[in-house]
Amino acid sequence: MTEKVEYWVKVPIGPIHPGLEEPEKFILTLDGERIINVDVKLGYNLRGIQWIAYRRNYVQMMYLVERICGICSFSHNHTYSRAVEEAAGIEVPERAEYIRAIVGELERLHSHLLNLGVVGHDIGYDTVLHLTWLAREKVMDVLEAISGNRVNYSMVTIGGVRRDIDEKGKRLILDLIKYYRSIMPQIEEVFLHDPTIEARLRDAAVVSRRIAKEYGAVGPTARGSGLKVDARWSEGLGVYPDLGVKPVLPQDVTGEKPHGDVYDRTAVRIGEIHQSLELLEHALDQMPDGKIKAFPKDNVLVAKLKIMVDGEGVGRYEAPRGELVHYVRGKKGSDKPLRWKAREPTFPNLFAIAKGLVGNQVADVVVAIASIDPCLSCTDRVAVVQGGKKIVLTEKDLLKASIEKTRELNPDVKGDPTPIGFGCAR
Amino acid sequence: MTDDNVIMEKVEVKEPTKEDLVAEAIKNRFPSAEVEIKENKWGKRRVWVRVPREDYKALMKFIVELDPEAHYSIGIEQDYGEELGYMSHILINYEEAPGVSLLVEVRAPKDDPVIPDISDVFPIAVQYEREAAEMMGIVFEGIPDSRRLFLPDDFPEGIYPLRLDEKGISEEAVKNAGHPYYIKGGAKK
Amino acid sequence: MDVMANIVYPVAGLIGLYAFVSLASLLWEGIDRKLVARMQRRVGPPLLQPLYDFFKLASKETIVPNTANFMFRAAPVLALATAIALLAYTPMGFEPLLSSKGDVIVFIYLLTLIGFFKILGAISSGSPYAKIGAAREAAIMVSREPAMMLAIFAIMWRLGKLGVEKPFSMGVFYQHNIWETGTPLSFVGAVILLYVFVIWLASEIEVGYFNIPDAEEEIAEGLLAEYSGRYLALLKLTKALKAYIAASLVVSIFFPWGIAGYLNLSGLSADIVNLLFHTLKVFILLFAVQSVFRATTGRLRVTQAVEFLWKNAFLASLIGTLLIAMEVIM
Repeated sequence: MTEKVEYWVKVPIGPIHPGLEEPEKFILTLDGERIINVDVKLGYNLRGIQWIAYRRNYVQMMYLVERICGICSFSHNHTYSRAVEEAAGIEVPERAEYIRAIVGELERLHSHLLNLGVVGHDIGYDTVLHLTWLAREKVMDVLEAISGNRVNYSMVTIGGVRRDIDEKGKRLILDLIKYYRSIMPQIEEVFLHDPTIEARLRDAAVVSRRIAKEYGAVGPTARGSGLKVDARWSEGLGVYPDLGVKPVLPQDVTGEKPHGDVYDRTAVRIGEIHQSLELLEHALDQMPDGKIKAFPKDNVLVAKLKIMVDGEGVGRYEAPRGELVHYVRGKKGSDKPLRWKAREPTFPNLFAIAKGLVGNQVADVVVAIASIDPCLSCTDRVAVVQGGKKIVLTEKDLLKASIEKTRELNPDVKGDPTPIGFGCAR
Repeated sequence: MTDDNVIMEKVEVKEPTKEDLVAEAIKNRFPSAEVEIKENKWGKRRVWVRVPREDYKALMKFIVELDPEAHYSIGIEQDYGEELGYMSHILINYEEAPGVSLLVEVRAPKDDPVIPDISDVFPIAVQYEREAAEMMGIVFEGIPDSRRLFLPDDFPEGIYPLRLDEKGISEEAVKNAGHPYYIKGGAKK
Repeated sequence: MDVMANIVYPVAGLIGLYAFVSLASLLWEGIDRKLVARMQRRVGPPLLQPLYDFFKLASKETIVPNTANFMFRAAPVLALATAIALLAYTPMGFEPLLSSKGDVIVFIYLLTLIGFFKILGAISSGSPYAKIGAAREAAIMVSREPAMMLAIFAIMWRLGKLGVEKPFSMGVFYQHNIWETGTPLSFVGAVILLYVFVIWLASEIEVGYFNIPDAEEEIAEGLLAEYSGRYLALLKLTKALKAYIAASLVVSIFFPWGIAGYLNLSGLSADIVNLLFHTLKVFILLFAVQSVFRATTGRLRVTQAVEFLWKNAFLASLIGTLLIAMEVIM
């Protein structure tokens, strides 16, 4: 009786790959085109944020935390502020909570539209990418009108929000809701009924309910498998209970039982776009007048936090990708937190999808990874400062090297970007 | 949406909230654990549990018995000076809003930093434990996968970046990594 | 031996055809990109962009991986050489330069040889992604050729019965065409075979559903992963030539009418006018099959595409062939 000899090949996807937005390495063990095992290796995007956080005070941490990720920057900012407010016992005025909810929902709109386009692009359907991203421009314009920037809005501060939404902003948001309501039928027709999309996304990268539960999957990844978890709902966060938030499950959108595949996650995202539009309408109706900051003067914030923060605080919020958790521990009398840690939604989702890819074909790897909406900038976050035998290049060295190279290529380039005078104190 | 079990009534007998029931159950089963319910300014209550090393794994299994759908959110490693700690946040009883937010902490002295591993109860915990092991130097006994998670493979052994004592990153290994505000001495102290 | 007629005339004709077809196919690629961009509400590149790309690629540094052997460098040149040789057998408004009895076999052989050289070049590069791409290209090639071969042999046989001077050669289509037979059975068969040929053309150019092995950068970077510089320029030119040639085949089987007769031209000028008209017909067919198909669909997985080709194309080809052949037998 001859044995069947199997040739298993290990192929790395990443860290640099056209289908991945951010560097991560998946080592696939393949048998022909079928995947046997997936191993996840992270660490390509480390920036040393937790180590830096040991050396910053509460307000500087807010700026640091915002810049962890570009797309979910508001979520990080919001969650961190909630954690500090819980540790310090600060009460946030109600109008500020409503504004936080409004900007949060706008961010969710823009992130979901981005992800729908990326899923379309990864199955070769470029037209969908361009048209969805064209639709996303409207949200970015409204966000720019409200907050001044298309990403990294910086709206939240500890104890409230920094900018108010005036009448003009309100009108812009109402126009936005009308515009999206008019184009959502087209988006639904593409993503839910198109034959190519159904052929590719149905039953691809199935994450069963058991695996989603064991691996702690969050966000649309978990809801697409049938788990009813949503941090705004299970936390009773802020004004969200008044606005009427419930987790969106695939059966609300497709009408069938959830399979846990990519199609279901896309359906959950489409349902969430509808839910965000409703929440925006309710929030604009119910928003009361009042002040928007707990401490109207910004320059007393650090001094007040020095006295008020004593103990630990946990903040949880539902970013577009899932549940975001921040933890802050501080001691009275010090203006720096003793410990800060964040956990972003992509981390457990990656491991859940690594289990879910077993048995699929290589063609589905990129679309599966795109379906959990990876935001690796948030995932790798810890210290990578290396001493010893390696040279540490400071910012000045890198800047000098790059200026030299430009001069080599083009000797009569005008302008000199070396910082004069004090510059950055490095 | 009526959250009538989260508003504190100072007048009559209040019906036990979900957090109270959970805290009672844990206290009855594990008398050596310290259980506390803290409520923040907007009415959210969290159950904070501190448990000694020996009962840690049994407590985790008990939590899964309380709610088989328990959701493990985060594992935070901490440096308390003389001790190392590991805190986990678990969400249980979330079928109806709001769920119960449970934080479990276990500590170990620095010269014996061994903590039991809970990856057979929560399979995702192994990834957080890998991170804690490489960042803080906690040794989890029985961990199935002890490779490095975030740090590169040629990072020197014995240096734990998030420790605040001599085993952390030394000042010579770092150039210009302070904020200019503090390099110049900070505020007048 | 008549040097002029046997050697100089075909060689000069081949060089002239090669120059014309390269320019025309690169121009078509530019038009296609512009049209697809307009369909996606973008502006799109200038019309001559593929020509600029070709010159830019030819002047860039060529990086050859360590693990590659000699076939890696030889394959693009061989593929382009095959495509040029194929031009001598393609019907392009007039009878092909080197047509002789039974040269449809040479045509099909050279057409699949192009794909074969691409696979060889990819396998010898040593990159795992290229090997995955090569496996997919082989799977699709095997699935699409049988349908086309069956159809074209049936058509040739039918047309041969109508009396042609070189049976089973590519010049047959300009003496009689498939619509002349007149009976309803063969008309229905011809329509079914038109459907088969359109699917075959889409999978030969590898667009839309079948954009699987070639430029499949999203998933495993495909056959062209390790090529850069000159070799990539040659491969892209080969791809453009192959698209033109495959479309020429379909046009000359189903829409072979020329306009030189109406303008009362003959000789070389008739051939040139016919060639230009043929190019126009090729552009129109490629618009329907390449641009519209590419803009409105995504790509399938390779197992789904292979299933599609065997179930739809091959079955339809069987039915159409039977319909046409039955008429000959009866």
